[in-house]
Amino acid sequence: MTQLRPDMFDEAAVRLDGVSLRYDSTEEILSGIDLVLKPASFSFLTGASGAGKSSLLKLLYLAQPPSRGEVSLFGRPTSRLSRDELSAMRRRVGVVFQEFRLLNHLTVYENVALPLRVMGRKESQYRRDVEELLRWVGLGERLHKRPETLSGGEQQRVAIARAVVTQPNLLIADEPTGNVDPDMAARLMRLFYELNKRLGTTVVIATHDLGLIRQIDAPVYRLADGMLVQENGEVGPTARRRTDPLRAMP
Amino acid sequence: MKPTENSLLPLEDAREAALFFVVGALCFLAALAALSAKSTYGAARAWTAQVEGEYTVSLSGADATAADEAARLLSGLDGVITARAFSDAEINALLEPNFGKSGLPADLPVPRLIAVTGAADAEDLGARISTALHDAGHSAAVDAHAEWAGDVRRMLSISRIAALSIVALLSATAIAVIAFATHAALLARRDIVDVLHVAGAKDRFIAGLFERRFWLLGLRAGTVGALVALASVAILIALGRSGAERSGLLPQLSLDFPDLAVLVVTPVIAGLAARLAAGITVMRSLRSVM
Repeated sequence: MTQLRPDMFDEAAVRLDGVSLRYDSTEEILSGIDLVLKPASFSFLTGASGAGKSSLLKLLYLAQPPSRGEVSLFGRPTSRLSRDELSAMRRRVGVVFQEFRLLNHLTVYENVALPLRVMGRKESQYRRDVEELLRWVGLGERLHKRPETLSGGEQQRVAIARAVVTQPNLLIADEPTGNVDPDMAARLMRLFYELNKRLGTTVVIATHDLGLIRQIDAPVYRLADGMLVQENGEVGPTARRRTDPLRAMP
Repeated sequence: MKPTENSLLPLEDAREAALFFVVGALCFLAALAALSAKSTYGAARAWTAQVEGEYTVSLSGADATAADEAARLLSGLDGVITARAFSDAEINALLEPNFGKSGLPADLPVPRLIAVTGAADAEDLGARISTALHDAGHSAAVDAHAEWAGDVRRMLSISRIAALSIVALLSATAIAVIAFATHAALLARRDIVDVLHVAGAKDRFIAGLFERRFWLLGLRAGTVGALVALASVAILIALGRSGAERSGLLPQLSLDFPDLAVLVVTPVIAGLAARLAAGITVMRSLRSVM
């Protein structure tokens, strides 16, 4: 397991400098955004529908370059990276998509193992870990099912398992608890928190769930009119020094 | 139960079945055109080699005895392998298509013919034959078959170039079709490409998935096309043999080792073309995203 090291906090995990985004000739969706997320921080991103949350997340998981400004991950400006370096950088980022994006021709097990296959790992090296992770999210009996046969909540858990299976340095989740019951939501949030606390994973969660936001003591960033505003708290390693924010959760 | 590892791309769909048919048909046509080109080339070489040293000498106002004497004279010339005077029966057989079986009237003067076969490297043989006969007091005209062969060679060369052009055109069409189909497949599987891309797959990794898929598709479709071409050629050969001498309208196809090599190479080329087209299409498409 990765140990927290002092040098992990030398560079920002995420740094946006004057980042703007527009698609084609449309108006700017994001405008002049500055953001620094320290390693091992836990943050929420919220905002009205259409405010640009998904677009901002796209910038963070390197699916979209900004129209202006610079996106840096783990201390490296991404505009200067080669395509292979960008691929390597993406392997350090786990993403939970709002619409899951599971591959229906693969089984649940194969979907979760996909990032490990991309990394070139052999199945004998990861089979036990993947099965254990799927049992942990309550899908131990669904290993060989196709995602399309699962409920929305189960698909969401598969998507989350796929995002965390590589123990990424940065975890980005878009409405990760939108389709699960409160118990499972708390369980999944505990998983994110454990990753954040034990492995130093920087976690960014985009959500509308104000109840969830209120239960966890973490900075909240709100997107409105293309601008990003921090609503509370501090960003960075200080988050680790707080008491367990999930202690009150079921 | 041990989980199985499926391909990261889904199994073939209806689009690929249609592509399989198109590539197979193109490979069939390309193989047939290649075999035709090769047969044309072989026939041209064989025919020109056959007529290269052949001469026909026409003796005017000579009888059979004079023709035999002239043939003996020519047999002694340097570079002449054989010289043989045509018999009356042979001359009548040559004239039969125009004058019928009754032959020519006896009082009609018909030149006597001498067939001369010379060595391929014999220099100015036609001129020397003409001089020798003139010096012996014969009135003779010498026809070198090679002069006719030149026209035939030119015609066969044009046929060969046309066949090779058809092969090239069909190959280019197959590559274009495969490239188009790969692009369509990529668009249809954009979701998979996106997930792999976000998961950190390198462009080469993603392109490799499509390359493997289309390599196998091209190989299988090309094999089917080549096998159908093989069957077609076999049928044409059988028809040609059953038609005996009246098979002149059918192409003179064969199935020797080079022909079989063409049929074996066709699917490999189809597979490689499909793989190349898929690789280039996917890489180009991926470069358009971050």
